[in-house]
Amino acid sequence: MKQSFYLAIKYLMFYKFRTMVLTLSIGLILFLPLGLERLISESQSQMLARSDATPLLIGAKGSSTDLVINTLYFEKNKIEFIHLGLLDTLNNMDLGYAIPILSAFKARGFPIVGTDLDYFSFRNLSIASGRNLQLVGECVIGSEVAEQLDLSVGEHLVSSPENFIDLAGVYPLKMHIVGVLNPSNSPDDYAVFTDLKTNWIIMGLGHGHQDLQALNDPSLILKKDSAQITASAKVFMYNEINTKNMDDFHFHGRMSDYPISSVLFVPKDVKSGIILRGRFESKELKEQIVVPTVVVENLLQTIFRIKKIFDMVFVLIGIATFIIVFLIVILTLKLRKDELFTMFTIGSSKYKTVEIVGFELIITLFLSSSIALVFYGLTGFYIETFIRNFII
Amino acid sequence: MKNRIWGILMVFVLFSCAEPVEKKKERIDEKLKVITVNYPLYYFAERIGGEWIDLKFVIPTNVDPAFWNPDEESLKQYQAADVIFTNGADYAQWMKNVSLASSRIVNTARSFEKQLIKLNTKTAHSHGPDGEHEHQDRAFTVWLDLKLALKQAESIRFHLSKRIPDQSDGIDQNFEELKKDLLSLDSQWLKGFHKYHNQIIIGSHPVYQYLARAYDLNMESVHFEPDEFPSVSQWSELDDLIKKHGSSIMLWEKQPSPKIEKEMNDRKMKIVVFDPCGNKPPSGDFLSVMQENTEAIVGR
Repeated sequence: MKQSFYLAIKYLMFYKFRTMVLTLSIGLILFLPLGLERLISESQSQMLARSDATPLLIGAKGSSTDLVINTLYFEKNKIEFIHLGLLDTLNNMDLGYAIPILSAFKARGFPIVGTDLDYFSFRNLSIASGRNLQLVGECVIGSEVAEQLDLSVGEHLVSSPENFIDLAGVYPLKMHIVGVLNPSNSPDDYAVFTDLKTNWIIMGLGHGHQDLQALNDPSLILKKDSAQITASAKVFMYNEINTKNMDDFHFHGRMSDYPISSVLFVPKDVKSGIILRGRFESKELKEQIVVPTVVVENLLQTIFRIKKIFDMVFVLIGIATFIIVFLIVILTLKLRKDELFTMFTIGSSKYKTVEIVGFELIITLFLSSSIALVFYGLTGFYIETFIRNFII
Repeated sequence: MKNRIWGILMVFVLFSCAEPVEKKKERIDEKLKVITVNYPLYYFAERIGGEWIDLKFVIPTNVDPAFWNPDEESLKQYQAADVIFTNGADYAQWMKNVSLASSRIVNTARSFEKQLIKLNTKTAHSHGPDGEHEHQDRAFTVWLDLKLALKQAESIRFHLSKRIPDQSDGIDQNFEELKKDLLSLDSQWLKGFHKYHNQIIIGSHPVYQYLARAYDLNMESVHFEPDEFPSVSQWSELDDLIKKHGSSIMLWEKQPSPKIEKEMNDRKMKIVVFDPCGNKPPSGDFLSVMQENTEAIVGR
């Protein structure tokens, strides 16, 4: 037995390249269905965990999937805005509390999420260093943002301009990083959190500029009378909010008309949630309300249909691989005809030959399984990327 | 011996009955944390919520809460509160620059938004692609119209009852008592101010808009500080008003300095101290300050 094992090892080591190719091929064939299964099942559990933890979402009428993806993952889809006034209406219904979300801008590739302090307590997000948001112009960054951009408390992050050609339009805002969140293994790790008002300043709905009453440069003032001052676009706009210029920042129009992407609603109890949904269904409120879990489950069902096709492909590939391995063994035995004859001549039994070839197969399969397991382990690190690139 | 045993037993019973300090602290922590942006709202919340709320007032006594800016520590108290009662009418502009949980902010002026007084100080300006926009302020001392103050108190009652349903009966009872006090004061003011209907009163500051509207007063305002001697142009502005309206009464938020008082006497202007009581008074409370205001009106 020991000798057969020794001879099998020696044989495999002698044909290193062939052993490597065979081991890797079988390893990959074993890994692919397992890996995909893991990616999908873990993505499913992660996505459902996020959606299960979000009782109700309210947003503009349109695609419910876009609404959920935008609010839960702060991803891609720019959905139609709703008005902040809805938040007040919802909070005054005595059915629970509402958390606003405004996710429309990015800073160095990471989404800027405008919200309020309830969001942090609702998602159980804790501060690893620094403090939570206090003033406009500040931001708190997720752990992955901090790591990938190598940023820490006290540094700055500039919002990405939406349109480089529109020089007189939306100005990039230099935000002060006041806190870094602890990792939560969720999309919150990849987000830059600000107060809603900071987002509105990025949008250009609020801004800070030189005091128009005190301007001395006549080229900055186009028209001035007791009731109206018309300044030129040359007037200096602040691109950063600090304690010195904070009072110069102002918002135009009624705050209740200001845009938000969606509202995350936390009902007091199940009954309150149903009552609220009823009010949307009865058209008392014109926006749409969705249960994120239902939307995510629908989305995952589509993915599962694709997964079934993959499963069939893998079964076919598995059968093909098995036939190829079988063929390789047969051909190998043919090639080793002289070698096996020598073994018989020096007194080796037929059983011994089977034992040596069997060990060779077992070792190859063991190595292939090990490779498959290593790949399977590594898959865990790519679940977030998989969700972002293939599901959302 | 028997007495000693009884003594030991008594001490044991007393100790077992006493609430541990930590537990007591925990009980206080469990109370609804309430904070307000000015003193009148604090007073209403204190009267209505009583012992069932953990009420905080973090505004220093030497500032006007309308123009105060909280420091980091004060802001933390606002962020930690379960309910923040605000005055509405753009009062406490600092709230526009800070992060707070919107579900915890209660605008006590929400029910009478349309009754708020717009000030004639708007300046429209335009620049860039936004086009013309204007910033118009609203008068904010709403509580000087005691019927509006009552509506603010009603809002506090409603939100406290909602959040502490177990104590809603007590909260309602406290509110009724406050309501009685405010309405009694209101009728005193209606009577007290009646005698000024045929003259124009000058306010040392433009803070009496709601008072004037509610109690049918004709008022003009200047910008005098009680402890800061006015400039020549300010005196001349006052002289013009006196000449134009034949006014003989001026309402002050605080007793002006003797130097100002002398100048006022020279102009035969009577000083009536009518404290809006936006901040915590050094002594007494909102009601006692308003009673003093009443005496100042009636006593003339």
